[in-house]
Amino acid sequence: MSLFREAARQIFRKPATVKYPFEPGIVPPGLRGRPVWDMEKCILCVLCQNACPTAAIKMIPKGPDAGIEYHLDRCIFCGECADACPRKAITMTTNFELAETSRSNMVQHYKKPQQAQTQAAKT
Amino acid sequence: MVLYEIVGVFIYPGMAFLFGLAFLYEWIDRKFFARVQNRIGPLYTGRSGILQPVADFIKLLSKEDIVPASCERPVFSAIPIVYATLPLIALFVIPITGSALIAFEGDVIFLMFVSALITLTVFLAGWSSAGSFSRIGGIRSALQMLSYEIPFGLALIGPAISAHSLSLTKIAQWQAANSSWFLWLQPIGFAVVLISLLAELELVPFDIPEAETEIVAGWLTEYGGRRLALFRLGKDLELVVASTLVASLYLGGAQPLFFIPPVVILILKSIIVLLLISFVRAIFARFRIDQMTSGMWTYLLPLMIVQILLVQFGIGG
Amino acid sequence: MSYGSTIKVPFGPQHPALKEPEYFLFEVDGDIVVKVTPRIGYVHRGVEKAFEQETYLHNLYLAERICGICSHAHTTCYTQTVEGLIPLEVPPRAVYIRLIMAELERLHSHSLWVGIAAHEAGFDTLFMYLWRDREMIMDLMEEISGNRVTHAINTIGGVRRDITNEQANKIKKFMDRFEGNVKEYMKVLETEQTFLKRTKGVGILKPRDAISLCAVGPTLRASGIKSDVRADDPYLAYGEIPFNVITHDGCDVYARTIVRCEEMIESANIIRYALDHLPEGKIRVPPPRTIAPNESVGRVEAPRGELIHYARSNGTAKPERYKVRAPTLGNLASVCQTLIGAHVADIPMILAGIDPCFSCMDRMTITVKKA
Repeated sequence: MSLFREAARQIFRKPATVKYPFEPGIVPPGLRGRPVWDMEKCILCVLCQNACPTAAIKMIPKGPDAGIEYHLDRCIFCGECADACPRKAITMTTNFELAETSRSNMVQHYKKPQQAQTQAAKT
Repeated sequence: MVLYEIVGVFIYPGMAFLFGLAFLYEWIDRKFFARVQNRIGPLYTGRSGILQPVADFIKLLSKEDIVPASCERPVFSAIPIVYATLPLIALFVIPITGSALIAFEGDVIFLMFVSALITLTVFLAGWSSAGSFSRIGGIRSALQMLSYEIPFGLALIGPAISAHSLSLTKIAQWQAANSSWFLWLQPIGFAVVLISLLAELELVPFDIPEAETEIVAGWLTEYGGRRLALFRLGKDLELVVASTLVASLYLGGAQPLFFIPPVVILILKSIIVLLLISFVRAIFARFRIDQMTSGMWTYLLPLMIVQILLVQFGIGG
Repeated sequence: MSYGSTIKVPFGPQHPALKEPEYFLFEVDGDIVVKVTPRIGYVHRGVEKAFEQETYLHNLYLAERICGICSHAHTTCYTQTVEGLIPLEVPPRAVYIRLIMAELERLHSHSLWVGIAAHEAGFDTLFMYLWRDREMIMDLMEEISGNRVTHAINTIGGVRRDITNEQANKIKKFMDRFEGNVKEYMKVLETEQTFLKRTKGVGILKPRDAISLCAVGPTLRASGIKSDVRADDPYLAYGEIPFNVITHDGCDVYARTIVRCEEMIESANIIRYALDHLPEGKIRVPPPRTIAPNESVGRVEAPRGELIHYARSNGTAKPERYKVRAPTLGNLASVCQTLIGAHVADIPMILAGIDPCFSCMDRMTITVKKA
């Protein structure tokens, strides 16, 4: 009978359930969601590819496809790439609703604009 | 006349009405149990989740039915139907609308017989399933019946002695005529009948035959699909039997109040009993089978004998 | 089944009493267990071989995923072992932050366990209440480290994120509330007759058996033996923080419950002390990429007991050999001993009493060649 008082009190309290996804979930500001690349700042230095523990980042150095290929299905959202980038071009957002229905949708290609490529090649 | 009887048996106050009550009581039980635990319970099917038990039933009907190869096939298949039908038979003698569908002297004994049959069905279900978990569950439920059966029977007999009748309808009418309920005339009997009903319905702290964490699902383990749907329907009907029985025997039964029809009053009283059962279910842990048998024989039976002696000496109606 | 002999009841690999798959074959005579035959290895993932394939920094994320509930204990032990290989001195602020996260993890793991113990006893209401409180700890850890489990706050050479002042105040306020709740639940556990009947006298492990069968963690301390890696072999900053090692003389499942509840209160005190004495300074130093040939052992008090990591380097950027000994492997022999003579209904209580984490444990499989 020891739980009697506590149980009787709980009947009149608001339930602790969060009605996600019908109501928005609780997202604290430091949550490590998916990373996004800012290609204006990126210098194609390959440090993020080396830092990634699961080979989720592939850097294509030159050609028409030059840029970053990011595999969402291999990412473990650790944030090592954001720590390793020397130009702070990668930000970890708080986006965690990342489900897709086919494997091909899980690869995102960040292209480096053409004129910026030659600029980067000069520096 | 025959049409009246057919409507009475199949629609009201017969099977359709009772099935509706069964689903409603399961919903009330689940919602209240959830609120005590600070959760919500069913929410999205129908307004505030009221159609959830119906949805579960229909879903189970559509699932695949796997029968173990080494089971006793005829018993295995027949048991769910028997288990769903026995509480219905018990409900036919309980005066839900003020007068029962079938009322005769000896109702109470008939009710005890049906509840013993239900436990025998449970034992057969566990035995015929031919798995070690099912067998253990069946044996445990038979042991449990040996413990609670006598206090339960005596708790039903207490009001019968005071009302000088073995018919449930007459006991309920006696309480209405003398405007005193057996709740305060025989309080020990009320407590004992609630505890024995918890043991019969296999609810915590006595849900030993189906202890989920010990023997998976006990005697229910090998059942699935349509057969499981019938078992769950039988369980809900047992819940209706238990709450309406206590409401008729100890809480005054179906009496009209001002302009409210007696059936509504009985349903309200049985919902109070149901909430009490749900609350007790939430605040205790589960007993072990040997602790339960020794506890019942050491405490419940002597208490009930004391109550019967008090009634014989004129205290308590 | 022949007349008069025992029934064989299999527990697992899938069973509601075991949260992770392992196989136990019980021979039951009536209601009493006569013989136990365990078979482990269902969750063996080849983690130790995988350690040899990647660099030290990438292996940190592998070590984190050995277990979900004690992931911070694994990364703390890993970084401690690798920093012992180099050797590397970690700044004091990083040490304190690691300690605070480790104690927060102990809180969440123990409240998970008490909820599971209540659930195994059929006490579902207490299970729901405890896990509701545990959600608040998970939200706190999410705010500090970025994730509810697999926090990735440790790195070789320090920590990756700092604790701000307002986060520190939030943690302190929450500790007061949580400690009050735990004390209330302890009162319920100590007086609830149905729970006491299920746990008192169940799964008795005498102190001599506990030592000879290599029990670790709260299982050992519930038999009255004062043995805690934080006190015997202080790592991180435990040498500077005053705390008590909780023991109890009951030797049964009830004693294990009480030991874990009191450890939760002790952890709350440690967190408050550490937050008040948090030193200033930087939070990480850069480690070298390759490590000269060396050997190192790291010991950490995970929530379940003593966790041991062993590493051997050979001058390259990848380790040559890495070994992990999880605490549940140490407790397995003692649980097989305590199960004999118990009722069938006591089996889940005793199995849950050691706080089994089988995914941590399955490091190797034993193959027996038939002659």
